[in-house]
Amino acid sequence: MYGKKASELVKEFANSEPGQLSAFNNDLFSQVLEECNGHLLHLQSLLSKMQEDGPDDQTSKNADHFGALMHHLSIVRNKRCLMAYVYNRAEVIQHLGWTIERVLPEEIEEKLSNPEKDYFKNHSATLQSYMSELDLDLAVDMVPPKDPYIKVRVLEEIGNVVLSDQIANLACHAILFLRRTDAEQYISQGLMEELSS
Amino acid sequence: MTNYFDIDDILAEDELVPAIFREATNGVGLFDSTDDTNKVEPGSKVELPFWLARELHLRQAVTVSVPPCFNKRTREEIDADAAHVDLRIRCPYFYELGYKIAPLVGDKTIGLVLLIAFRTRYKEVLIKAHTAFAVAPTFLSLLTEEEVKLYKAAQSSAVAFKKWRMGGPRFEKASVLGRKRKPIE
Repeated sequence: MYGKKASELVKEFANSEPGQLSAFNNDLFSQVLEECNGHLLHLQSLLSKMQEDGPDDQTSKNADHFGALMHHLSIVRNKRCLMAYVYNRAEVIQHLGWTIERVLPEEIEEKLSNPEKDYFKNHSATLQSYMSELDLDLAVDMVPPKDPYIKVRVLEEIGNVVLSDQIANLACHAILFLRRTDAEQYISQGLMEELSS
Repeated sequence: MTNYFDIDDILAEDELVPAIFREATNGVGLFDSTDDTNKVEPGSKVELPFWLARELHLRQAVTVSVPPCFNKRTREEIDADAAHVDLRIRCPYFYELGYKIAPLVGDKTIGLVLLIAFRTRYKEVLIKAHTAFAVAPTFLSLLTEEEVKLYKAAQSSAVAFKKWRMGGPRFEKASVLGRKRKPIE
Protein backbone atom coordinates (compact mmCIF):
# COMPACT_ATOMS: atom_id res chain seq x y z
CA MET A 1 0.00 0.00 0.00
CA TYR A 2 1.24 3.47 -0.80
CA GLY A 3 2.55 5.66 1.98
CA LYS A 4 3.08 2.70 4.30
CA LYS A 5 6.77 3.25 4.89
CA ALA A 6 6.33 6.95 5.55
CA SER A 7 3.71 6.30 8.18
CA GLU A 8 5.98 3.70 9.78
CA LEU A 9 8.54 6.44 10.15
CA VAL A 10 6.04 8.75 11.80
CA LYS A 11 4.80 5.95 14.04
CA GLU A 12 8.33 5.32 15.17
CA PHE A 13 8.58 8.91 16.31
CA ALA A 14 5.17 8.79 17.96
CA ASN A 15 6.09 5.69 19.93
CA SER A 16 9.19 7.20 21.48
CA GLU A 17 8.52 8.86 24.82
CA PRO A 18 7.73 12.56 24.60
CA GLY A 19 10.89 14.62 24.85
CA GLN A 20 13.10 11.61 24.15
CA LEU A 21 14.83 10.95 20.87
CA SER A 22 15.33 7.63 19.20
CA ALA A 23 18.09 7.13 16.66
CA PHE A 24 17.54 8.86 13.34
CA ASN A 25 16.23 6.19 11.01
CA ASN A 26 18.34 6.85 7.96
CA ASP A 27 17.43 3.56 6.39
CA LEU A 28 13.69 4.01 6.40
CA PHE A 29 14.05 7.68 5.55
CA SER A 30 15.91 6.96 2.33
CA GLN A 31 13.48 4.16 1.49
CA VAL A 32 10.65 6.67 1.60
CA LEU A 33 12.62 9.01 -0.63
CA GLU A 34 13.12 6.16 -3.08
CA GLU A 35 9.41 5.46 -3.01
CA CYS A 36 8.83 9.10 -3.93
CA ASN A 37 11.14 8.76 -6.91
CA GLY A 38 9.23 5.68 -7.99
CA HIS A 39 5.97 7.60 -7.80
CA LEU A 40 7.48 10.40 -9.85
CA LEU A 41 8.47 7.98 -12.62
CA HIS A 42 4.96 6.53 -12.74
CA LEU A 43 3.51 10.00 -12.72
CA GLN A 44 5.66 11.17 -15.60
CA SER A 45 4.97 8.11 -17.73
CA LEU A 46 1.22 8.50 -17.17
CA LEU A 47 1.37 12.18 -18.05
CA SER A 48 3.26 11.59 -21.27
CA LYS A 49 0.83 8.79 -22.14
CA MET A 50 -2.04 11.21 -21.68
CA GLN A 51 -0.42 13.62 -24.08
CA GLU A 52 0.24 10.96 -26.71
CA ASP A 53 -3.30 9.67 -26.61
CA GLY A 54 -4.65 13.05 -27.58
CA PRO A 55 -8.10 14.33 -26.75
CA ASP A 56 -10.13 11.60 -28.57
CA ASP A 57 -9.86 8.74 -26.14
CA GLN A 58 -11.74 10.22 -23.22
CA THR A 59 -12.26 7.11 -21.12
CA SER A 60 -8.67 5.95 -21.05
CA LYS A 61 -7.56 9.51 -20.51
CA ASN A 62 -9.72 9.73 -17.43
CA ALA A 63 -8.25 6.52 -16.11
CA ASP A 64 -4.74 7.82 -16.69
CA HIS A 65 -5.69 11.03 -15.02
CA PHE A 66 -6.80 9.32 -11.83
CA GLY A 67 -3.75 7.09 -11.85
CA ALA A 68 -1.53 10.14 -12.07
CA LEU A 69 -3.54 11.77 -9.32
CA MET A 70 -2.96 8.84 -6.98
CA HIS A 71 0.78 8.99 -7.52
CA HIS A 72 0.73 12.71 -6.98
CA LEU A 73 -1.20 12.36 -3.73
CA SER A 74 1.20 9.69 -2.54
CA ILE A 75 4.16 11.98 -3.11
CA VAL A 76 2.44 14.78 -1.21
CA ARG A 77 1.63 12.42 1.62
CA ASN A 78 5.18 11.07 1.81
CA LYS A 79 6.47 14.59 1.86
CA ARG A 80 4.24 15.48 4.77
CA CYS A 81 5.42 12.45 6.75
CA LEU A 82 9.09 13.17 6.11
CA MET A 83 8.71 16.84 6.97
CA ALA A 84 6.84 16.03 10.16
CA TYR A 85 9.52 13.52 11.18
CA VAL A 86 12.32 16.02 10.71
CA TYR A 87 10.38 18.94 12.17
CA ASN A 88 9.32 17.19 15.33
CA ARG A 89 12.81 15.90 15.97
CA ALA A 90 14.15 19.41 15.46
CA GLU A 91 11.74 20.66 18.14
CA VAL A 92 13.13 18.14 20.62
CA ILE A 93 16.69 19.09 19.71
CA GLN A 94 15.89 22.76 20.16
CA HIS A 95 14.61 21.97 23.62
CA LEU A 96 17.87 20.20 24.42
CA GLY A 97 19.67 23.48 23.88
CA TRP A 98 17.75 24.94 26.83
CA THR A 99 18.11 22.10 29.25
CA ILE A 100 21.61 20.71 28.85
CA GLU A 101 23.35 23.57 27.06
CA ARG A 102 26.46 23.18 24.98
CA VAL A 103 27.65 19.67 25.72
CA LEU A 104 25.58 16.83 24.34
CA PRO A 105 26.01 13.52 26.14
CA GLU A 106 27.35 10.83 23.87
CA GLU A 107 24.30 8.59 24.11
CA ILE A 108 22.14 11.38 22.75
CA GLU A 109 24.60 12.61 20.17
CA GLU A 110 24.90 9.26 18.48
CA LYS A 111 21.18 9.30 17.81
CA LEU A 112 21.31 12.47 15.76
CA SER A 113 21.94 12.66 12.06
CA ASN A 114 24.70 14.99 10.87
CA PRO A 115 22.42 17.87 9.90
CA GLU A 116 20.74 17.55 13.30
CA LYS A 117 24.10 17.83 15.07
CA ASP A 118 24.81 21.00 13.14
CA TYR A 119 21.37 22.28 13.99
CA PHE A 120 21.96 21.69 17.67
CA LYS A 121 25.36 23.34 17.55
CA ASN A 122 24.08 26.39 15.73
CA HIS A 123 20.99 26.67 17.88
CA SER A 124 22.88 26.58 21.16
CA ALA A 125 25.50 28.97 19.76
CA THR A 126 22.71 31.39 18.89
CA LEU A 127 21.27 31.02 22.36
CA GLN A 128 24.65 31.60 23.97
CA SER A 129 25.38 34.68 21.92
CA TYR A 130 21.96 36.10 22.72
CA MET A 131 22.49 35.50 26.41
CA SER A 132 25.93 37.07 26.40
CA GLU A 133 24.51 40.04 24.59
CA LEU A 134 21.90 40.39 27.29
CA ASP A 135 24.49 39.54 29.94
CA LEU A 136 21.95 37.22 31.53
CA ASP A 137 21.84 33.45 31.77
CA LEU A 138 18.30 32.63 30.69
CA ALA A 139 18.67 28.94 31.45
CA VAL A 140 18.94 29.35 35.23
CA ASP A 141 16.16 29.97 37.73
CA MET A 142 13.61 28.05 35.72
CA VAL A 143 11.99 27.44 39.13
CA PRO A 144 11.41 30.60 41.15
CA PRO A 145 14.00 30.69 43.94
CA LYS A 146 13.17 30.64 47.64
CA ASP A 147 16.69 30.74 49.00
CA PRO A 148 19.96 31.67 47.28
CA TYR A 149 21.66 28.56 48.65
CA ILE A 150 20.57 24.96 48.32
CA LYS A 151 21.83 21.66 49.68
CA VAL A 152 23.00 19.23 47.02
CA ARG A 153 24.60 15.85 46.81
CA VAL A 154 27.22 15.23 44.13
CA LEU A 155 26.43 12.10 42.15
CA GLU A 156 29.46 11.90 39.91
CA GLU A 157 33.04 12.98 40.38
CA ILE A 158 33.40 16.53 39.04
CA GLY A 159 36.61 17.72 40.74
CA ASN A 160 37.73 21.16 41.80
CA VAL A 161 35.59 23.85 40.26
CA VAL A 162 35.66 27.60 40.58
CA LEU A 163 32.17 28.71 41.49
CA SER A 164 30.89 32.23 41.74
CA ASP A 165 31.55 32.51 45.49
CA GLN A 166 34.02 29.77 46.32
CA ILE A 167 36.34 27.10 44.98
CA ALA A 168 34.69 23.80 45.76
CA ASN A 169 35.86 20.23 45.55
CA LEU A 170 32.90 18.45 44.02
CA ALA A 171 33.85 14.90 44.96
CA CYS A 172 31.45 12.03 44.49
CA HIS A 173 28.87 11.71 47.35
CA ALA A 174 29.86 15.03 48.91
CA ILE A 175 26.98 16.98 50.39
CA LEU A 176 27.37 20.74 50.31
CA PHE A 177 25.68 24.08 50.16
CA LEU A 178 25.98 25.85 46.84
CA ARG A 179 24.47 28.87 45.27
CA ARG A 180 21.41 27.88 43.29
CA THR A 181 22.75 29.43 40.14
CA ASP A 182 25.94 27.39 40.36
CA ALA A 183 24.17 24.15 41.14
CA GLU A 184 21.42 24.41 38.58
CA GLN A 185 23.41 23.42 35.51
CA TYR A 186 24.95 20.40 37.29
CA ILE A 187 21.55 19.23 38.43
CA SER A 188 20.03 19.48 35.00
CA GLN A 189 22.95 17.52 33.60
CA GLY A 190 22.33 14.83 36.19
CA LEU A 191 25.64 15.24 38.02
CA MET A 192 24.05 16.41 41.28
CA GLU A 193 20.73 16.09 43.02
CA GLU A 194 18.97 18.57 45.22
CA LEU A 195 18.33 17.45 48.78
CA SER A 196 15.21 18.72 50.40
CA SER A 197 15.80 20.05 53.88
CA MET B 1 -7.09 23.43 9.95
CA THR B 2 -4.72 21.27 11.89
CA ASN B 3 -1.00 21.71 11.98
CA TYR B 4 0.84 20.32 8.96
CA PHE B 5 3.43 18.73 11.22
CA ASP B 6 0.96 17.24 13.69
CA ILE B 7 2.00 13.63 14.26
CA ASP B 8 -1.40 12.53 15.52
CA ASP B 9 -3.21 14.11 12.62
CA ILE B 10 -0.92 12.30 10.20
CA LEU B 11 -1.48 8.97 11.89
CA ALA B 12 -5.22 9.52 12.11
CA GLU B 13 -5.33 10.00 8.35
CA ASP B 14 -3.59 6.68 7.93
CA GLU B 15 -6.65 4.75 9.11
CA LEU B 16 -8.28 2.63 6.45
CA VAL B 17 -11.73 3.43 5.17
CA PRO B 18 -13.80 1.33 2.79
CA ALA B 19 -14.22 2.82 -0.66
CA ILE B 20 -15.62 1.81 -4.04
CA PHE B 21 -14.02 2.99 -7.27
CA ARG B 22 -16.35 4.88 -9.59
CA GLU B 23 -13.79 5.46 -12.30
CA ALA B 24 -11.22 3.20 -13.88
CA THR B 25 -7.69 4.07 -12.82
CA ASN B 26 -4.53 3.21 -14.72
CA GLY B 27 -1.01 2.63 -13.59
CA VAL B 28 -1.47 1.98 -9.91
CA GLY B 29 0.07 -1.19 -8.56
CA LEU B 30 -1.86 -0.64 -5.40
CA PHE B 31 -3.77 -3.86 -5.18
CA ASP B 32 -3.08 -7.42 -6.21
CA SER B 33 -3.84 -7.17 -9.87
CA THR B 34 -3.34 -10.34 -11.82
CA ASP B 35 -2.35 -8.74 -15.12
CA ASP B 36 0.44 -6.30 -15.84
CA THR B 37 -1.73 -3.34 -16.65
CA ASN B 38 -2.09 -2.40 -12.98
CA LYS B 39 -5.53 -1.18 -13.75
CA VAL B 40 -8.31 -0.74 -11.23
CA GLU B 41 -11.76 -1.36 -12.66
CA PRO B 42 -14.73 0.75 -11.69
CA GLY B 43 -16.75 -0.92 -8.99
CA SER B 44 -13.75 -2.43 -7.20
CA LYS B 45 -14.18 -2.50 -3.47
CA VAL B 46 -11.02 -1.50 -1.64
CA GLU B 47 -9.79 -0.15 1.66
CA LEU B 48 -7.88 3.08 1.24
CA PRO B 49 -6.03 5.11 3.83
CA PHE B 50 -8.05 8.18 4.65
CA TRP B 51 -5.58 10.70 3.16
CA LEU B 52 -5.96 9.06 -0.24
CA ALA B 53 -9.65 8.30 0.05
CA ARG B 54 -10.59 11.88 0.90
CA GLU B 55 -8.93 13.44 -2.13
CA LEU B 56 -10.25 10.80 -4.50
CA HIS B 57 -13.72 11.13 -3.01
CA LEU B 58 -13.71 14.90 -3.49
CA ARG B 59 -12.77 14.37 -7.14
CA GLN B 60 -15.50 11.75 -7.46
CA ALA B 61 -13.16 8.96 -8.37
CA VAL B 62 -14.25 6.82 -5.44
CA THR B 63 -17.15 6.70 -3.03
CA VAL B 64 -16.23 6.48 0.60
CA SER B 65 -18.50 4.67 3.01
CA VAL B 66 -18.63 4.70 6.78
CA PRO B 67 -15.80 2.68 8.33
CA PRO B 68 -16.76 -0.38 10.37
CA CYS B 69 -15.75 1.27 13.65
CA PHE B 70 -18.93 3.34 13.44
CA ASN B 71 -21.24 0.41 12.75
CA LYS B 72 -24.50 -0.35 14.46
CA ARG B 73 -22.98 -2.70 16.98
CA THR B 74 -20.47 -0.13 18.21
CA ARG B 75 -23.22 2.43 18.51
CA GLU B 76 -25.34 0.08 20.56
CA GLU B 77 -22.43 -0.67 22.86
CA ILE B 78 -21.74 3.03 23.30
CA ASP B 79 -25.38 3.65 24.12
CA ALA B 80 -25.31 0.86 26.68
CA ASP B 81 -22.09 1.72 28.51
CA ALA B 82 -19.73 4.01 26.67
CA ALA B 83 -17.06 3.95 29.36
CA HIS B 84 -16.20 0.29 28.83
CA VAL B 85 -16.27 -0.05 25.09
CA ASP B 86 -12.92 -1.01 23.63
CA LEU B 87 -12.53 1.85 21.18
CA ARG B 88 -8.83 1.30 20.75
CA ILE B 89 -9.23 -1.99 18.95
CA ARG B 90 -11.87 -0.44 16.69
CA CYS B 91 -9.80 2.59 15.82
CA PRO B 92 -7.08 4.26 17.90
CA TYR B 93 -8.08 7.57 16.36
CA PHE B 94 -11.82 7.06 16.80
CA TYR B 95 -12.72 10.73 17.40
CA GLU B 96 -10.36 12.20 14.84
CA LEU B 97 -11.46 9.82 12.12
CA GLY B 98 -15.11 10.33 12.93
CA TYR B 99 -14.67 14.06 12.78
CA LYS B 100 -12.98 13.83 9.41
CA ILE B 101 -15.24 11.26 7.83
CA ALA B 102 -18.61 12.72 8.86
CA PRO B 103 -18.69 15.58 6.32
CA LEU B 104 -17.57 13.23 3.52
CA VAL B 105 -20.26 10.62 3.94
CA GLY B 106 -22.88 13.11 5.10
CA ASP B 107 -23.82 11.04 8.10
CA LYS B 108 -25.05 13.43 10.76
CA THR B 109 -25.42 10.76 13.43
CA ILE B 110 -21.68 10.21 13.71
CA GLY B 111 -21.19 13.52 15.50
CA LEU B 112 -23.77 12.56 18.08
CA VAL B 113 -22.15 9.19 18.69
CA LEU B 114 -18.77 10.85 19.20
CA LEU B 115 -20.20 13.38 21.60
CA ILE B 116 -21.98 10.82 23.74
CA ALA B 117 -18.95 8.54 23.80
CA PHE B 118 -16.53 11.31 24.67
CA ARG B 119 -18.68 12.84 27.39
CA THR B 120 -19.11 9.61 29.26
CA ARG B 121 -15.58 8.40 28.82
CA TYR B 122 -13.95 11.74 29.68
CA LYS B 123 -15.52 11.68 33.11
CA GLU B 124 -14.37 8.13 33.69
CA VAL B 125 -10.82 8.87 32.54
CA LEU B 126 -10.47 11.89 34.83
CA ILE B 127 -11.85 10.10 37.86
CA LYS B 128 -9.49 7.18 37.37
CA ALA B 129 -6.47 9.38 36.71
CA HIS B 130 -7.02 11.59 39.75
CA THR B 131 -7.90 9.02 42.34
CA ALA B 132 -6.45 5.61 41.58
CA PHE B 133 -2.74 5.10 42.16
CA ALA B 134 -2.43 2.21 39.80
CA VAL B 135 -5.13 1.69 37.21
CA ALA B 136 -5.65 -1.76 35.84
CA PRO B 137 -3.84 -1.97 32.51
CA THR B 138 -7.00 -3.40 31.00
CA PHE B 139 -8.61 0.00 31.41
CA LEU B 140 -5.84 1.81 29.56
CA SER B 141 -6.00 -0.63 26.69
CA LEU B 142 -9.58 0.46 25.99
CA LEU B 143 -8.69 4.10 25.41
CA THR B 144 -8.05 5.84 22.12
CA GLU B 145 -4.88 7.86 21.60
CA GLU B 146 -6.60 11.07 22.56
CA GLU B 147 -7.98 9.61 25.76
CA VAL B 148 -4.59 8.22 26.73
CA LYS B 149 -3.20 11.72 26.38
CA LEU B 150 -5.94 13.11 28.58
CA TYR B 151 -5.31 10.39 31.11
CA LYS B 152 -1.62 11.15 31.26
CA ALA B 153 -2.20 14.88 31.52
CA ALA B 154 -4.65 14.37 34.37
CA GLN B 155 -2.27 12.05 36.15
CA SER B 156 0.68 14.39 35.85
CA SER B 157 -1.41 17.27 37.18
CA ALA B 158 -2.40 15.12 40.17
CA VAL B 159 1.27 14.29 40.78
CA ALA B 160 2.27 17.94 40.46
CA PHE B 161 -0.41 18.94 42.95
CA LYS B 162 0.78 16.38 45.44
CA LYS B 163 4.36 17.51 45.04
CA TRP B 164 3.37 21.09 45.59
CA ARG B 165 1.58 20.20 48.82
CA MET B 166 4.32 18.04 50.25
CA GLY B 167 7.24 20.19 49.16
CA GLY B 168 10.51 18.56 48.19
CA PRO B 169 13.28 19.07 45.69
CA ARG B 170 12.25 21.43 42.98
CA PHE B 171 15.21 21.14 40.71
CA GLU B 172 15.22 18.20 38.44
CA LYS B 173 17.51 16.54 36.04
CA ALA B 174 16.70 17.35 32.44
CA SER B 175 14.06 14.85 31.40
CA VAL B 176 15.99 13.87 28.28
CA LEU B 177 18.70 12.43 30.48
CA GLY B 178 16.21 10.59 32.64
CA ARG B 179 16.29 7.13 31.19
CA LYS B 180 19.86 7.07 30.09
CA ARG B 181 21.25 6.95 33.58
CA LYS B 182 19.86 3.60 34.53
CA PRO B 183 22.37 1.40 32.70
CA ILE B 184 25.27 3.32 34.28
CA GLU B 185 24.18 2.70 37.82
